[in-house]
Amino acid sequence: MSDMEKKLKRLKSLETPAPSSDAKKRAAALAMAAFDETAEKTTNGSQGLSWGQRLMSIVTPLKGIRLMDIRIPATAAITALLIVPISWQLMNNTSLTPPTLGETIVAPTEQKDELGKGVVDGVISQQETENDLAAIVIPAPEMEAPMVSPNVSASSKVATRTMGAPAPMRDQLGYLQSGDQFERFDDANIKLTGDQPVSTFSIDVDTASYAYVRRAIENGRLPQKDAVRTEELINYFDYNYATPPSAELPFAPKISVYPAPWNAEHQLMHVAIKGYMPENVMAQPSNLVFLIDTSGSMNDTDKLPLLKRAFKLLVEQMDEQDTVSIVTYAGAAGVVLEPTSGAEKRKILDALDNLTPGGSTAGAAGIETAYRLANEAKNNDGVNRVILATDGDFNVGISEPEALKDFIKQKRDKGISLSVLGFGEGNYNDALMQALAQNGDGNASYIDSYTEARKVLVNEIGGTLQTIARDVKIQVEFNPTQISAYRLIGYETRALNREDFNNDKVDAGDVGAGHTVTAIYELTPVGAAQPVDPLRFGETTQVDAASKSDELAFFKLRYKLPGADESTLIEMAVTNDNVVNNIADLSNEIQFGTSVAAFGQKLRSNAEIGTFGFDEISALAQASRGEDKFGYRAEFINLVEAAKSLAKN
Amino acid sequence: MGAQLDVCLELNLTLNQTENDPPISELVKLAAGGDRDAFAAVVDAQYDYIFRIAFKWLGDKSDAEDVTQNVVIKLAKSIQQFDGRSQFSSWLYRIALNAVRDHQRASNRQGRNVVALSLVSPTSAPSNQEDDVTMNEVWSAVRQLPEKQRDAVLMVYGEDMSHADCATIMGCKESTVSWYVHEAKKSLKGLL
Repeated sequence: MSDMEKKLKRLKSLETPAPSSDAKKRAAALAMAAFDETAEKTTNGSQGLSWGQRLMSIVTPLKGIRLMDIRIPATAAITALLIVPISWQLMNNTSLTPPTLGETIVAPTEQKDELGKGVVDGVISQQETENDLAAIVIPAPEMEAPMVSPNVSASSKVATRTMGAPAPMRDQLGYLQSGDQFERFDDANIKLTGDQPVSTFSIDVDTASYAYVRRAIENGRLPQKDAVRTEELINYFDYNYATPPSAELPFAPKISVYPAPWNAEHQLMHVAIKGYMPENVMAQPSNLVFLIDTSGSMNDTDKLPLLKRAFKLLVEQMDEQDTVSIVTYAGAAGVVLEPTSGAEKRKILDALDNLTPGGSTAGAAGIETAYRLANEAKNNDGVNRVILATDGDFNVGISEPEALKDFIKQKRDKGISLSVLGFGEGNYNDALMQALAQNGDGNASYIDSYTEARKVLVNEIGGTLQTIARDVKIQVEFNPTQISAYRLIGYETRALNREDFNNDKVDAGDVGAGHTVTAIYELTPVGAAQPVDPLRFGETTQVDAASKSDELAFFKLRYKLPGADESTLIEMAVTNDNVVNNIADLSNEIQFGTSVAAFGQKLRSNAEIGTFGFDEISALAQASRGEDKFGYRAEFINLVEAAKSLAKN
Repeated sequence: MGAQLDVCLELNLTLNQTENDPPISELVKLAAGGDRDAFAAVVDAQYDYIFRIAFKWLGDKSDAEDVTQNVVIKLAKSIQQFDGRSQFSSWLYRIALNAVRDHQRASNRQGRNVVALSLVSPTSAPSNQEDDVTMNEVWSAVRQLPEKQRDAVLMVYGEDMSHADCATIMGCKESTVSWYVHEAKKSLKGLL
């Protein structure tokens, strides 16, 4: 035996100290929590939404390094990604299956583990790309970490592939799945005008999907398909559509028909709606109750700390006619701030500052308390709203989703509405947030950054706080002599039955002050290549529309004014006057919206979009950027570029 | 020597079990099926095993505890995907090794290269001092080796594993392991 061999043999004799029992207990507790979380997510896949069950999340999700957040002391953490195979791909390969709305499927966990390590004022370091046969490098972000031991800090962006584990879950475009929950839906199919001439849907002014998508892409992964709701991407942007003149007629829809950039034979029908914008929304008294999730999982930089900063923005805009209350749930459930005048800013800000995440105890009756306070301070002439801020924990006191929705609906009828602000990643329960906000006559926004908080709570505060029209529904009837087939882009989760349109009892989306809403149909004109062969033996559809043959479609919109129980109808015919033959002749607003629509469909791998690539989308958006005061459109273009490189990998 | 790893692991795995407990493979199967208690038992049984691996690689108790914590959480998330195609122990070893690597890369990036230089931490049990010195020298030299060489040496010598077992865990061929060991010895010549 050589000398070296002897020396090496000594390696064996290293005595391992016993691990401390505290460390073991802590690790075991975290492991159990992770196990429960994983188990829950997995079983939910088949059993549907069981959002109320999740009471704790100690394992913090991936966090993005956002440029604007650099001033947050860069704490580091170990981010070890363990990608685990699940045949999730199947889910992304089902574009042919009929839409199954309302079914919630939970994305399998992208195994992300990051554990909080000691807090060190280190510099966030970038992962050097190391080509290692065992490691796939995917950009995983740093995070602020809860402290565990005092002197260790580390961060890593390496996803490791374990033995015996198949390749990580990616579909054709390279999507990686995250642990967030989204309602599953398939793209709307092409409808033959002969079979189904009428299309009905509820409008949607939510923008949460865009913020989520942006975050995913900035974190270096393409979002899972179900996270991409094309209409929310389109509606994220503020379009400079013509503003209606008065609160009595809050909408003036404008319709344009033009060639689809991705298919020369098809046309797009673009419906532009802008809500009436009252002079000064903040001049109206607001009675706001912040219902804040302070569970342990809110600890991350992009959750509670961001939430505080976001709410401060809102508080800054308030004055003595406004009232603010704060209720927390989980951990220290209860009233943090009784209704307080907006003039006492110091008191409100202090109360916000003192919020700390902690515990995972179900906060009993959090939501009842919030509504009770809202009711106490109720202002009959102003805005009364509960703003729920959470990362997905809904242990607000009512644990049945249906009961919770009913409760919110009932309160809405009494004049107190609900908005939901979503924070963080990994635990985000999009489907439920949407459902709650819809029942509460409010909107769901996803706040991923301070900029986004500013957009929602300052720039668009009117739309966030003041509803100008409720239950806004759109119905379009296409003329089969002109249009042989059509397809609504986006709004898959908002489809209504034909008869729902005239039924004022059927709930639909609400529009806030100054909100813009865009809907785009893709039309196959008669004479173009048909998506479906005509029936050989079927009855030929007898078209009695000859007299109106120059009409392409007939557009109807129903809305209720605030407080009104009956809806008002706006209708108009879409004729050749609406047609623009060259997309370059359209306004920037329409062109830009079209590029966003293309992007959403691209991310959803929609077949209709064909070979229209990220480059074309980017070029279209670039050409129609317009003034872009806040830089949102420039950001979109960057996002398209980033998605392009991610899709290549 | 091929069976040695398994024997050694078996021993370790059974350490915390009483006779009435189901064997670890059963527990793993149950845990993979979502059985919470079984998973808790797996964690309890495997904690020390993982800690030992982490400690050998890192030479620091608190680092090792942190990594072990990461590993059990990863285990929670991935045990459902454990398909029994490989030995649970090798599978877990691989997870632990990857976690160690992540930890080290992260530490390196932070300029905290101290781990590689640190001797066995003072928290380890004192034994024959002279022995310790030499052993510590060997350890610290080995920890400075390039990653693959180090892994191979630590598994083959530190864990007394066969080249075949080591190859399974590293995901390479047996001959590659031998080559890493050979290279390692060459590199160590200057250091020891």
